[in-house]
Amino acid sequence: MTKEKKLSITIDNKKMEVRPNMTILQAARENSVYIPSLCILEHLPSYGACRLCVVEVDGLRGFPTSCTTPVEEGMVIRTDTAEVRSLRQEVLKLLLSEHPASCLFCGEQSECKDYQGTIRKVGVTTGCRYCPNDNRCELQLITEKVGLTETSYPVYYRNFPIEKEDPFYDRDYNLCILCGRCVRVCNDVRLNGTLSFKQRGKLTTIGPAFDRTHLDAGCEFCGACVTVCPTGALSAKVSKWYGRPDSQVGTTCVYCPVGCKVILQIKNDETIDALPDYDSPVDQGLVCVKGRFAIPEYVHSAKRYISPQRLTPIGYEDISWDKALDEAKERLSGIKPEDCLVVVSPQLSNEDLFVAQRFTREVMNSEEMFSLVITDLGADLVPFLDLVMHASSYDAINTAQGILAIGFDSTYGFTPIGIQIKAAARKGANLVTIGSYESNLDMLAETAHQTEPSHWAGMIDPLGKAMSGNGKTNIVIVGPDVFLGPERREALGRVIALRDVYKWKVIVAHPYTNLLGMLATGAFPGIKPGEVLKNGDKGSAVTIKGAAVYPDLQKKRKVVYVIGEARLDMVPPCDHLIYQNGLPPESGRKPDLILPACMFTETSGTTINAEGKVLPIQKAYEPFMKSKPDWWIMSGIAEKLQKRTFKYNSVQAIQGDIRKQIKGFFSMKKRLEFVRVGMKEGGEGTRDAALRGKRSPASREETYRGTPLASVVSGMKAIEERRRHE
Amino acid sequence: MPETIEKILKKHGRTTDELIPILQDVQKEFGYIAPESVKRISRYLKVSENQIYGVSSFYAQFRFTEPGRHGIKVCLGTACHVRGGATLLEMLERGLGISCGQTTDDKRYDLERVACLGCCALSPVVQIDRDIYSRMTVNRLTELLKEYE
Repeated sequence: MTKEKKLSITIDNKKMEVRPNMTILQAARENSVYIPSLCILEHLPSYGACRLCVVEVDGLRGFPTSCTTPVEEGMVIRTDTAEVRSLRQEVLKLLLSEHPASCLFCGEQSECKDYQGTIRKVGVTTGCRYCPNDNRCELQLITEKVGLTETSYPVYYRNFPIEKEDPFYDRDYNLCILCGRCVRVCNDVRLNGTLSFKQRGKLTTIGPAFDRTHLDAGCEFCGACVTVCPTGALSAKVSKWYGRPDSQVGTTCVYCPVGCKVILQIKNDETIDALPDYDSPVDQGLVCVKGRFAIPEYVHSAKRYISPQRLTPIGYEDISWDKALDEAKERLSGIKPEDCLVVVSPQLSNEDLFVAQRFTREVMNSEEMFSLVITDLGADLVPFLDLVMHASSYDAINTAQGILAIGFDSTYGFTPIGIQIKAAARKGANLVTIGSYESNLDMLAETAHQTEPSHWAGMIDPLGKAMSGNGKTNIVIVGPDVFLGPERREALGRVIALRDVYKWKVIVAHPYTNLLGMLATGAFPGIKPGEVLKNGDKGSAVTIKGAAVYPDLQKKRKVVYVIGEARLDMVPPCDHLIYQNGLPPESGRKPDLILPACMFTETSGTTINAEGKVLPIQKAYEPFMKSKPDWWIMSGIAEKLQKRTFKYNSVQAIQGDIRKQIKGFFSMKKRLEFVRVGMKEGGEGTRDAALRGKRSPASREETYRGTPLASVVSGMKAIEERRRHE
Repeated sequence: MPETIEKILKKHGRTTDELIPILQDVQKEFGYIAPESVKRISRYLKVSENQIYGVSSFYAQFRFTEPGRHGIKVCLGTACHVRGGATLLEMLERGLGISCGQTTDDKRYDLERVACLGCCALSPVVQIDRDIYSRMTVNRLTELLKEYE
């Protein structure tokens, strides 16, 4: 980059050097000079709506808004003169003429708190401070900074009903000051276009067309509008009455393999909210509804186990961890390898998966690690894994000339990918969609094909041929409707051809969060730790045995040990079922031993996203009640079995072993690269029928560790209903 | 309806600055902007339905409900107001069971108020469709309405 010539300007009698092509407001903020603004949004062009950022500039007439005035060489700017101050106060008074101001100007303000010492929600709502944003409100902050202590205008209360019918966030437009941030973030950052200004003048309101609900209007419930709202007009249902959080912890969302960064808001050792991080390189803060709103209710679900439990003839009995581990040991000791099946979830962390494979291989002397991916994909596992393991990075979408999205809808998931596709389409990329329903990308698509899934495979080839051949990057997005549909074999084959013959890039939007971690750490039958990772001179392909991958699900086992999976319908019959998870199983089957596991907010680790990047999961607080991390439980059982195989006391110790065994695993900057996987013997046919019969219709639901989000997160029900019958 | 919409869209380019001309043509053709029309325009211009609604609701010239068969406009300009325009409007609102800017359920009448029809000497004035009625009274207006089916 060429070095830009700096400009020298003066702000409030202080000389400073600033980069050209920036506004006065940016220059001031960079040099820690405070100028109030209610409409400015980082990552978006200036808007000039609130007029609070007015300043004086020598040689310019009047009071220009600093957010829209670019700096010039030699500019002399004053941000805090008496005139500017009184002008700002007047502007703010006008802004507040439609905003209930009891929290801003009240003679009793200082004593108010003392009289509110009742039970929380009642105390807050019965006082005149009925706004959920109290004490974390930008308007309060700015009123204080601008020095406004009273207003001379009467407050016009618009008396709108509070809108609560949509999931996840409430809207009280009586508090809205029409700054336009939500509209801009919805349209210009999320490229979604649910919110817009309606009517004009004093009738102006914000919302979707024709008084539709947000759900009907195509809202993604990404909560971006709630995050940027400077008032209490928009508030998240779960967290609105919690007030300010005590602390924040940045972690990676584990609900899908995109790997979005979320900043957990912690209060009293509880996640009360999760915010996006616009500076995150993976997702640019474009999290979906799951990351934004579905975390607190899931991790603090009332259904969570509080203690290990053992099934007795008269019901479940709480037992201590020591007893629970003894019980597990008793069941597992002395049984033959083929009498035990371990079910592992692809939504576990790398560390948990690594320990799970060690447990299976070294303690049980078995290779039988069964998982949801195997049930779901059946005989088409190999082409699916081939695509997933050689997926492109998300940035490729930016430069793509042609984008083909098959069976893909990014309204309620994979939003960072969906939004990048939309942005590319707006820039002129040729976007073609194929799907059985209308998708949220169709509006921006050059061509949108709506046909039955049986036609898809036949369309991929001709479309791909027509779109490639320009020497530019082309990318195909494979949605869940492709690889979970009945005609997937053909379609997956065509996508592979597109990649190998026409050099297309591929992104697979699948629900198995840490599938790549599962393969990399070897928590998969027939794959040793690190074996599938490309590593210098080592082989370029791994062949797994079909017979090992597809277990006989009819055969009765002595013990089935389920780790982080709640769909017990895929589990074969057994004498003894050990169930290790945070929430109860989905089906009516009763586990014999319940081992309560931590949520991802309660233990550290790493996960690998769809691009192959290793991302951190951060512990935010201690485990709930007697819950323990998955690795701790497995290590505990291993120790009880006295195999002297392994014992872990911390995540760091596991990471140390991973580092030793799998070269380059934690070189965070790089994406992990994978070799080809092939399969021989018994991969086809016979077993597939049995597996397919096992797949429940619920497999399309959004789940985490097997539990459908809709069954624990209240708002997800509405989302799930809409997603399914749309 | 879909064909007519397509015909209108074909006459315009696919850039966002065509939005208002398209909306005007649609309103001219159908008398109002229906949700289905907005959906078609949204696809054609690649702009969300909500944004199109936002733009069109800004302008008083666009309406979003099917107009009635007959449009009643009551003048409430200064002269008409002084000579009882407001009473006429109130009687209509009560009689038809709708308020200003609405359409009766049977789609028979639209009710609107206007600021001046430019014939103050004839006040109070009521316009029904293209006919202007002068020196209107409540009784005459009641009779008059029966003529418009």
